[in-house]
Amino acid sequence: MRGPDAVRLAAALGAIEMALVRRDLVVGPLLAQAARAASETQIAPLLVCAAEQTRADDFFADTSPAIARRKMTQALCRAAAHEVHAELLVMTGIDMGAS
Amino acid sequence: MRLFGTDAELLEEAGCDVARITELERSLVAGLIECPRADIHVHVGRDRDGHELDVDGLLADMDAWGIRRTVIFAPNDPGPDGDFADANATVRRAAEVAPARLIDFCRVDPEISALSVMEEAMRHGARGLKLHPIAQGRPPESAASIACVRRATEFGWPVIMHAGFGARSLADPFLGVLNAVPEARLILAHGARGDARAVSDALADHPGVWFDTSLATLSDLVILPRERLIFGTDRPYGDHATALQLVDHAARLAKWSEADVRRVLVGNFDDILGA
Repeated sequence: MRGPDAVRLAAALGAIEMALVRRDLVVGPLLAQAARAASETQIAPLLVCAAEQTRADDFFADTSPAIARRKMTQALCRAAAHEVHAELLVMTGIDMGAS
Repeated sequence: MRLFGTDAELLEEAGCDVARITELERSLVAGLIECPRADIHVHVGRDRDGHELDVDGLLADMDAWGIRRTVIFAPNDPGPDGDFADANATVRRAAEVAPARLIDFCRVDPEISALSVMEEAMRHGARGLKLHPIAQGRPPESAASIACVRRATEFGWPVIMHAGFGARSLADPFLGVLNAVPEARLILAHGARGDARAVSDALADHPGVWFDTSLATLSDLVILPRERLIFGTDRPYGDHATALQLVDHAARLAKWSEADVRRVLVGNFDDILGA
């Protein structure tokens, strides 16, 4: 992952996290953009899968299957965020083993 | 089967590709060392916001992810009287299902019958206290919150405190608690992400302070002392896979030894709650 990609994805995933919690309709476009930005990186499968979930007609419904789908989507995004944060921390070059 | 803490049958009903999600979930923790694990942060019951977890679901998760023991407490469900009576009773009954694996913490609103609720919980075998200063709107340094921490400490209980999202600074309030109750053992949830830099500067080396890893940020975990970190998931808000993935990344980045990883995943938990 290149530095600019990691920064772009970290910013997007922060916004996506809040959009999911707030059930904001913007989550679909944001995840679609993030999935494109992650193309050919190791987090692409996580974000492609997450973006696909938001295309369901009932994504924001209050039914048990829809709630389960949203929780799973949230977890996929959290997993992607962890990967991006790890990449960014490596890029800082700081020796974190010294703490 | 459960995926990311949700029932796979519900995901199938929603039309999700369960096989693909299973593969993604398992890929997150492929490199983590195998060792016993314990989870310091799980809510059992139903939150006012709709999140819920029952004891059967929790035990299934624990079996799937190799979690030996879990601390459980109530979600934000204070009940009509605001004293968490029903929610604490639900947690107590859950702990009775698997007493060797589930450790019951009592949750209170410090301003509502808190000390009597704690006395009752103590009589029923609770082992710790959970405070949520944001959800209950009671600052940690308030007289009522400090009274709860003092009583918990007299009981020999650790106190787990929410230290995640919130507007207020956290370092001085927690220092205020520790100055008032020097023997207190505080577990700051979520790696104290709500004010991580200040809390780390002020409290990371305090002998009475630990940090749980639940829904924490990686940038905080790599700088907090590993001998003070305790694995947590914050189920049902968080999930085991990403919680373990987070610890795995922190271990690699901060060059934890295998012994360090074991300490975070189970050793520090055992130090606080007994092996």
